[in-house]
Amino acid sequence: MQRSLHIPHPPERDHPSDVLPRIEDMLNEMAEAEGWPITLTMRANLILEELVLNTLTYGDTSGLTEIDLKLEYQDHALTIRLIDDGSPFNPLTDAPEPDVTLPLAERPIGGLGVYLVRTMGEELEYRREDGRNRLKLVVHPES
Amino acid sequence: MEFSHDRSGDTLVVNASGRVDGSNASDFLESLQGMFEPGDQKIILDLGGLEYISSAGLRVLLMAAQNLDKQNKSFSICSLTEAVGDVFRISGFDQIINVFPSVADAKQG
Repeated sequence: MQRSLHIPHPPERDHPSDVLPRIEDMLNEMAEAEGWPITLTMRANLILEELVLNTLTYGDTSGLTEIDLKLEYQDHALTIRLIDDGSPFNPLTDAPEPDVTLPLAERPIGGLGVYLVRTMGEELEYRREDGRNRLKLVVHPES
Repeated sequence: MEFSHDRSGDTLVVNASGRVDGSNASDFLESLQGMFEPGDQKIILDLGGLEYISSAGLRVLLMAAQNLDKQNKSFSICSLTEAVGDVFRISGFDQIINVFPSVADAKQG
């Protein structure tokens, strides 16, 4: 099963997070049709929220005009392809790795989103090509 | 998100249900903080009805946990669903915040 979502920038509505219900609806439709375990729906939603909101709100977004999402579910795994024409950002290398072993008082508030993408996503591949970020990753219901 | 709370003595149990994401995480923080009273010593957050949490929601939980820890108050979370529990495990939050299977366990813990 395949689904895709086109997200224009600047957002056609008021706020970047207005895109979240569209992502949720797309995932729920796939999850229902394919009988996904609840952990797969959660992981996919979390990963897409982090990646899309990152692209829409962080760094220099002046050149960004669109994000294209392509999802493909096959053999109990979901492959996510995200292409955008924003400024170069490689989530594999361009964000610091938070220390998740620090005790409560020392845990920094930020940095968790990209860490969760890297941990929940497998077979991550990034390349910058034709002025676009191209990210591919595979999500499984468990790890 | 929807909230309710129940106070008995110095123990406050907060129920949070629905979804917490980048669109409502700041409301979540405000609602949580609005429920705390100076006399509360033990705060239990019941997430049994929480369907979805992203890093924006985890940040709120971390801020609340750190604030209460600074005030030497007890903070615990209970009744995680399978999907939210998965996120807690992967983020390492189950190592820094006390997590209990039920409200009753959290009250004893």
